Order: sequence, then C-alpha cells, then structure tokens
Amino acid sequence: MISISYWDLLMLSSLVFLLGGLLWVNGFSKVKELWWATFRMVVQLLFMGIWLSWVFNADNPIWVAMIGVVMLFAAGYEISKRQQYRFKKMHSLLIGLLSLSFIALILLVGVLVFIIQPDPWYQPQYLIPLLGMLLGNSMTAIGLGLDTLTRSAKQLKGKVEAQLALGKTAKESMRFIKEQSLHSALIPVINMLVAAGIISLPGMMTGQILAGADPVEAVKYQIMIMLLIATSTGLGTLMAIELASRRLFDHRQRLQLDQLIKTRKF
Amino acid sequence: MTEITTPALLKVESLKTTGISNPVNLTVLSGQVWMISGSSGTGKSQSLKALADLIVHEGQVTLNGVSQQMIRPENWRSQVMYFSTETAWWCDSIGEHFNKIPDESQLNSIGLFTSILQKNPDECSSGEKQRLALLRGLERSPKVLLLDEITANLDTEAAVKIEQLLQNYLLENSLDDSRQCAIIWVSHDEAQRERMAPIEQQLIFKSASKSSLEERLT
Repeated sequence: MISISYWDLLMLSSLVFLLGGLLWVNGFSKVKELWWATFRMVVQLLFMGIWLSWVFNADNPIWVAMIGVVMLFAAGYEISKRQQYRFKKMHSLLIGLLSLSFIALILLVGVLVFIIQPDPWYQPQYLIPLLGMLLGNSMTAIGLGLDTLTRSAKQLKGKVEAQLALGKTAKESMRFIKEQSLHSALIPVINMLVAAGIISLPGMMTGQILAGADPVEAVKYQIMIMLLIATSTGLGTLMAIELASRRLFDHRQRLQLDQLIKTRKF
Repeated sequence: MTEITTPALLKVESLKTTGISNPVNLTVLSGQVWMISGSSGTGKSQSLKALADLIVHEGQVTLNGVSQQMIRPENWRSQVMYFSTETAWWCDSIGEHFNKIPDESQLNSIGLFTSILQKNPDECSSGEKQRLALLRGLERSPKVLLLDEITANLDTEAAVKIEQLLQNYLLENSLDDSRQCAIIWVSHDEAQRERMAPIEQQLIFKSASKSSLEERLT
C-alpha cells in the first residue's frame, strides 16, 4: 500500500481551512465549529491509530475487551444524547447499552468464532473494525427508533389511552407507535443495502481494495458485513423499542409519561 | 333506609388522585345512572380515569365485590369503560376501529350512515366521532360506563339521540342478574342531568377550599 506522509495530510487540511474562509464570506456562521470538528477528527483518529497499533502488538485480550467496552459506552451515550425525550435515571442509556451490546456482541463473537476464525478468535485486527461497524450502524438505528417511540408516545398519548380505555393491553395499544418507530429506524438501513455497490462503494471494501486486496475477496467481506449490519440493527432496534415501550407503562398498564424528560438540546 | 338487598355493582371508597379535591365515595347499583357536575378543576375527569384504572390513584374500587387490583387491567377497563370528551382514532378508517362492523340500523339510530365507516377520522365532525366512539365502546359490552362530557360537542337533538342509545343499552343489560350495567356521567348540561337521573343520583363536585364535606347531595 502506498504510504501517505503527514506533510500530505497537512497540505490537504489547508483545503478545509480555505473552505472555512469561503463559507464565512458567504454568511456561514459556524466556521469555528467546522474547524474545531476537523481538528478533533484528526486528533481522535491519530490517537486511535497509535492506540490500535499498540493493542495489535500487545496481543492481550484484556486490552481488546477494554476498547470494546469504551466503544460500547460511547455508542450508548450517543443514543441517549440523540433523544428529544429521555427516560429518567439514565434508563435511556441503559436501554441503549443493553440492546446494543446484547445483539452486536452475540453476532460479533458468532461470526469470529464460526466464520472468519482468526487465531486467536479475539484478534483485534478483525474484532475491533467489525465491532465498530456494527455499533456505528446499530447506534444510529436504535437512536432513531427510540426517539420516534418516545416522541410519538408523548404526542399521540390520546390515541394510546383511548385503546387502553377500550380494554386493549399496553402492547396492543402501542402497536401503531412501534410500527412507526421500526419504520423510521430501518428505512436508512434498507436504503444503505439498496445503494451498496451501485451508488456507494462501502468504506470497508474501499479500504481493502486500497490496501491491495482482491476486489472479489473484498466484496465477500463487504457482503458479510452488510448482512451483519442489517441483522444487528434490526434486532437491536426491536429490542430497544420493546424495552422502552414496556418502561412507559406501570404494573397496571397505565401510561407513565412523566418518566420522560425533555432534553435541552432540542 | 333499609339495607340494600342487591349487592353493589360498583363500590368506590375514599378514591383519591392528583386533581381530586375531596375523596370520592360512591355505591352504584345495576340499572342506575349517576350524573356528576361541578366547576372545572374539581377532578371529575380524573375520578373517572381513576375508576377505569387509567391513572395512579388511592382508595378501594370494587366491581361486584372484586377489587380492581385483583382483575387484570385490560379486563377491568373493558368492564369499567372510560369515554373521553375528545375521541381518539388510531387507524386510517373509522371501520377499522370496530371488532364487528356496526350495521345500518345501529348507525341510523344515532343519525349516522354506513358510508361513514370508510371515512378517515379526520374527515368526521367531533359530534360524529363522539357517537362512533360510543358504539366502538359498547360493542365490547362494558358493565359500567364512565362518560366524560361525551355530548359536549353535540346539539341537543344529537345529544338526546345519544341519551336514548344509552338508555336502551342500560335497559337491555340490567334486566336480570346475569347482565348488569350502570352509568356514571359527567355533564355540564343541567337539563341532561335531569333527564337522565333522579335528584338523589346527581352529584356535585366541590373544590376543597369551599367545603371538605362529601359530594353526596342526599
């Protein structure tokens, strides 16, 4: 693989710097944020590079597990941050973490042990990128699904309570909201699947091809990843929506919306 | 008065919840209609919702002697059914909200036609929806109807039709011991209260500051 020098990167970063100037002249007020975000991206990735090459060499499962845990918590935190209505007492974070980790981890371990079979199975070179891709996609879907669920429960309270009043169970009364939530969570995944290979060349495949891999091999990896992403986002979202909609009711199946607090950001 | 020989259909003892100024005590027999009035903010709607176990509350509510908390919530609510002022619809057409599509004569008796079943709820007037919501509930054969100003959006003619529908339902379902029915109705319409219930079954909810006495008028 042809190596890029830090000097090259510095030259390229002047592009974003110039872009900022041009945007500012055209009335874009968030130039500072753009520069800051770019700077953060560079530092985070450099740090990740150093950190990963260290972990790859150390060959110690404890370090791999630790990176995995940090990634999980970061993803869980992102989910709870993206909610217009959050559950009290960190329950949003908990629901996010539980549905993320349960599905993504089972799939990850299964695929490593039974399909890719690196030796040892937790070899970080395979485990960490795979986990990253699963978490990244599940995180977005679960975040969207939960946000739709809690927001609809708040806005469509009357429609839920009307069904409860008729003697329907909490589960039946939430069905139409659950459908909407699944819909908004999974449409991006379906779009991604449809675009793959025609409109977009997925990042993992592109990376492998750049690194000199046979495109046909790279495609096989990409197909595997896409299948895993579809499964983990779908199952993760289902689980998160189920957990959250149960939380919305008490033991007498009464809708308890005062558990939801509006976050400041929106 | 002598002791009541027939057991109470619904018995309410010191019912309390947020928004209720005075604890509610009430004994409802099958075949009875109770009419409730009172200024806003005295917890009339809250009391009805508590009776249907839709909101957290304190106190004892029993149906035929069985405590509310002993019956699964969905079973309780299909027997002690709450009807709200603003109706809510969650499917695309009116007809989809019914287990069994109401027939023409049922609809005609409350001034509606079968064509309304294909309509989207947003296209119906609130008066129409109110009548349809009543039908939607009654097809599940509730024993106690909790009516929360359900004719507030209707003209007198339509309101009277609703009253007749309810009277018929009450009569049909309180003829013998196997079928039971009673109505608790919050209404601001004085004429309606007088049409529906004798004076001793008309309650006035008062705010706590004015009086801490029971709401019973008797």
